[in-house]
Amino acid sequence: MKDELIERKIDAVMHSLDGVEKASPKPFLFTRLEARMQNERSVWYKLSAFVAKPMVAFACICLVLIINASVILFSDTKSSSLTQTGPELATADEYSQVSATIYEFENVKP
Amino acid sequence: MTEETELIELLKQKDRAAFKNIVDTWQNMVYNTALGILQNAEDAEDVTQETFIQVYESVSSFKSESKFSTWVYRITVSKAMDHIRRKKRKKRFAFIQSLYGKNDAPVVDPPDFFHPGVSLENKENAAVLFKAIEHLPGNQKTAFVLNKIEGLSYIEIGSVLKVSDSAVDALLQRARANLKKILKEYYNSINKEEL
Repeated sequence: MKDELIERKIDAVMHSLDGVEKASPKPFLFTRLEARMQNERSVWYKLSAFVAKPMVAFACICLVLIINASVILFSDTKSSSLTQTGPELATADEYSQVSATIYEFENVKP
Repeated sequence: MTEETELIELLKQKDRAAFKNIVDTWQNMVYNTALGILQNAEDAEDVTQETFIQVYESVSSFKSESKFSTWVYRITVSKAMDHIRRKKRKKRFAFIQSLYGKNDAPVVDPPDFFHPGVSLENKENAAVLFKAIEHLPGNQKTAFVLNKIEGLSYIEIGSVLKVSDSAVDALLQRARANLKKILKEYYNSINKEEL
């Protein structure tokens, strides 16, 4: 009994869109469309749309990570190269390039 | 040169009057298709606008190999499908956020959709059918909507979806079978009195 009832109901539902009339959008669609196009033509809209793209956002994150990694790697190599080598020290002596320290400022000659 | 070809040629030159004419001529067709697929008036309006912007921007790539209406239908369907994907992504993201307590608003199902073109006596049944249509796979849903709501022939649906007539026939048969299955499950789950 219930099955028969269900079958009849399904049949009615399947035919419920027979003779459906076409829906129309709200009036003045073209005016709204023009306003939207005007808005989308602005530089800021294009820029925000470009930045909001998932691929661009992902690329930006990758770029930041690469910059971070390169800063860490290069800062390590630079700090190790700060130690002065023999020839450099000799040149410094020859031209009296003595590095001034805070103690020398205290012993100012009259 | 027919009036339609003339309009397209003018649109390629970005003529405003031609664009207005094209929007006025095809807006019901685009909106009705989008509404059938999306089942939401605001989303359908949004997709209608997106479709016409796409038509305006890429009309130069229209080669007259197919009918202009077929080309517009194709853009509408693709925009509507993109919209569904975007909405699903947002819904998933909102759900994940709610898990982490960032967004306490519950993820709710949309209310029943009532198509404005359905007669009053069929209103309730049509709402149930639309609910079932929502569960159909993309191509079956598109074929069913184009056939039932837009009244397109198998040949026309075939050219929109770029498949043969027999493939459209198979798609529609599968869509009907799936809908019947979904409806049977639905009615089996409710009481006899509610039928």
